[in-house]
Amino acid sequence: MNRFENFKAGLIKDNPVFSLYLGICSTLAITTTVNNAIGMGAAVIMVLIMSNVIISAIRKIVPDEIRIPVYIVIIATLVKIIQMLIEAYAPALNTSLGVFIPLIVVNCIILGRAEAFASKHGIADSALDGLGMGLGYTLAVVAMSFIREVLATGVLNIVNPFNEAQVWINVTLIPEAYTIPLFNSPVGAFVTFAFLAAVIGAYKKHADEKAAKAEEVK
Amino acid sequence: MNKIVHLTLFLAIVSAIAGGALAFANQLTAPVIALNNERAEKQVLLEMYPSANVDDFKIMDVTTDNPTVNKIYSYEDNYIFNMSVSGYKDGTTFLVAINKDDLTVSAFKAISNGDTKGIGSKITESAFADSVVGKDAAGQIDTISGATVTSTPVVEGIHQAADIAAGLE
Repeated sequence: MNRFENFKAGLIKDNPVFSLYLGICSTLAITTTVNNAIGMGAAVIMVLIMSNVIISAIRKIVPDEIRIPVYIVIIATLVKIIQMLIEAYAPALNTSLGVFIPLIVVNCIILGRAEAFASKHGIADSALDGLGMGLGYTLAVVAMSFIREVLATGVLNIVNPFNEAQVWINVTLIPEAYTIPLFNSPVGAFVTFAFLAAVIGAYKKHADEKAAKAEEVK
Repeated sequence: MNKIVHLTLFLAIVSAIAGGALAFANQLTAPVIALNNERAEKQVLLEMYPSANVDDFKIMDVTTDNPTVNKIYSYEDNYIFNMSVSGYKDGTTFLVAINKDDLTVSAFKAISNGDTKGIGSKITESAFADSVVGKDAAGQIDTISGATVTSTPVVEGIHQAADIAAGLE
């Protein structure tokens, strides 16, 4: 697999959320607004790239027996640093994401990619894998939160994370009488998740069949 | 044996580096975070002075042995007291601004009412605030008839604030 294929895999085919089913807990909790989803996605991308790079850089000197504790120490440190930065420079985001920032530590995407990819590949490949998987996660949570926010409130509202008074986008897409508040609750998260996972699953099946057919023709 | 020492040392070194990185990040962000928290705390004062800027309020560095006083701020010619009192129940919080020179009440704002809605909540209505503003904070201030249990501790709180304000320089 060449580098670009590798990077692209994380976006749709091996999307960490809808295809590998990793890190679903945070996905269900933070996708109430697009704003939260973008903030969370950015935090995950940063942690994922940095943890992949560091773990790939030290992969030859880490003794095999204690690799998991070492990875966890590194990931926890990075998450804590990101959390402090968010608390300092985007306090509004910190309030709305709350406990889910520290919980990135136990997000299986991060440890999963460290174990499955970064510990076996070079630094550049690992960074690219981190970016691809991080973008895949962001894409997934933004898609989910878009559906949930618009169906539940009828309004799409995006503000500057560093200055909440600065509103970037605020459009009403559905009149208030036709909104479905259910989508703001965890039930709505599960329903949205199931639909999107089914769509990605159908796309993957379609792609696989096409590839099989091409194989037969040869 | 050698193996164990090697593993222990490796994990110890990784943890030490992680600790160092965290200490550095903390040093960088701690002052900004403290400032943010302070501003969030002062946000409530804007309800009283909507046209002011959060940074105009100064937190007074005084400790009182009065448990009803949460925080004292200074703004222009006023001391602003954030106080919590209890009528029937805990949870009545209000802001009262007292003029530094003549100790009159220059502004009053009830943030929350811990007692019965519709009765205790009269302290949050503007009629009560209007009746308090301009009065001598240490002198006679009328309570609300029909909401005496809630408004009496509020008035007592204003008197106590006046006492403290008189002692402040």
